[in-house]
Amino acid sequence: MNEQQVYTDLNKIFSDVLKKPGIQLSAESTAGDVEGWTSLTHMILIDTIEAHYKIKFKLNEIVKFRNVGEMAASIMKKLTK
Amino acid sequence: MLFNSFQFLVFFTIVTTLYFVLPHKYRWFQLLVASCVFYMAAIPVYILILFFTIVVDYFAGILIENADEDRKKPFLIMSLVANIGILAFFKYYNFFIDNVNEVLHLANSTRYLPVLHILLPIGLSFHTFQAMSYTIEVYWGNQKAERHFGIYALYVMFYPQLVAGPIERPQNILHAFHEEHKFDYDNMVKGLRLMMWGLIKKVVIADRLLLVTDPIFDAPTQYSGVTLFLACFFFIFQIYCDFSGYSDIALGAAKTMGFDLMKNFNRPYTSKSLSEFWRRWHISLSTWFFDYLFTPVAASLRRWRQGAVVVGLALTFLLSGLWHGASWNFILWGAALGAGLIFELLTKNFRDKAFARIPKNIVGGMGRLCTVFYLILMAVFFRSKTVADSMFFYKKFLGIPGEIGRVIKTHKFGFLNLPNVYHLVIPGFLVIVLLELLEHFGEKYDLANTFQTKKPVFRWAAYYAGLILLMYFGVYEKHQFIYFQF
Repeated sequence: MNEQQVYTDLNKIFSDVLKKPGIQLSAESTAGDVEGWTSLTHMILIDTIEAHYKIKFKLNEIVKFRNVGEMAASIMKKLTK
Repeated sequence: MLFNSFQFLVFFTIVTTLYFVLPHKYRWFQLLVASCVFYMAAIPVYILILFFTIVVDYFAGILIENADEDRKKPFLIMSLVANIGILAFFKYYNFFIDNVNEVLHLANSTRYLPVLHILLPIGLSFHTFQAMSYTIEVYWGNQKAERHFGIYALYVMFYPQLVAGPIERPQNILHAFHEEHKFDYDNMVKGLRLMMWGLIKKVVIADRLLLVTDPIFDAPTQYSGVTLFLACFFFIFQIYCDFSGYSDIALGAAKTMGFDLMKNFNRPYTSKSLSEFWRRWHISLSTWFFDYLFTPVAASLRRWRQGAVVVGLALTFLLSGLWHGASWNFILWGAALGAGLIFELLTKNFRDKAFARIPKNIVGGMGRLCTVFYLILMAVFFRSKTVADSMFFYKKFLGIPGEIGRVIKTHKFGFLNLPNVYHLVIPGFLVIVLLELLEHFGEKYDLANTFQTKKPVFRWAAYYAGLILLMYFGVYEKHQFIYFQF
């Protein structure tokens, strides 16, 4: 799976979970840039992403994610293992 | 040493002057000695507690960094146990024993556990949390372990934020102790101005409002429900000015030497919801709990989705209440705030739909009113000494509609036993309105950063006005800052 595909998936997951159609994420996107992405919806997003890719983030990773780019990089790394 | 004392004025002048006179390589030592003097002005022997936690956390940081990935945890646990252990012993031991003795009493036991007759070390909850922030960040790999023992000790002990925060993060401040700060006129002026504003908030506003609130909270049975509610209303502004005033003085004192501490308050009473209030009030503590408690708990339970967030919030707010004080009142205060936040979370979609057709500014205004109203109700737990006292307040609040009805019917106010309306209540309201206006326009025109560009006549008029306020309207009776007790 390439990076572009991961971003396409993330756009769909974010749009579905946050109920905001048409969300377009970039590597630099943070919670401040996406309406509805709060600390409260963050865990639901993480759980949905894990279920979608059948992967599991470590606690250390979840607390360290600073933007979508770091999240996407972690997904890519897990998928290529 | 109180920030609102002559002793501190002398201390600050000497420390700041020496800081710029000494060569850079001696400054960490000078600041560390100054911080020790500042701390030891309260109970000197308690510096040994600080020394103990500093030694443990300094070595824990290095051991965590040097250990293999799967062997780091025991060193983190060592640091957390040392800090929480000290906090538990000094702050919560007696509370725990009191409750055990209460149970023994109910069970008709004649044996009771002994309580300790010790004073709470000043600022213990603040510097232990700051120390834990360091070892956790080293453990997460966000911060390199500090090898210079003196600089690490200074990170924990830096006098402006040692006893009442802001609770700093190592990434924000630790590096700054290594850097050389040349004298900067702009920093000096910004810092002094912030200190002046903080002092005005403390001695002119908070300590004046205290003249209204203290007599009422000390003898609530003598007052009507309306008066008790008024006292709670004034109290939320009193505590805001008291604590944010302290934070401003801390930020200003650090700024004069070129250190940027994190902003601790952002006009909390303009919040449209409790969750917004949580992001604007005591930011260094709420982000601490968010980063180091809420996120790990909610992330660990994320399979429960919304349930994980609910459990995370409940635990975070219960412990946040307990952080403020070892009493059931503070636990209930935290629980009530947490319950409010969970309610907001669970009803968000419903509220968004229900209010969709109402103009946003009306919804926002209603949100602000509801938030302040809820905070006034919660102030009862925060300020009362016992749960029974709090319940008395709530019982009296229930009688407010009847009291208002009686005023309308009889046109008489005497039975409300209000504090002196002309000398206390009206000035109190005026001061609060003035404060909100100043903060509103200060934010709108970014005065913190642009003030220096204003015409000299405007700037100096503001400085003189500030000095007049401090000299003629300040209360100088050595009232401690409220958050010192935590």
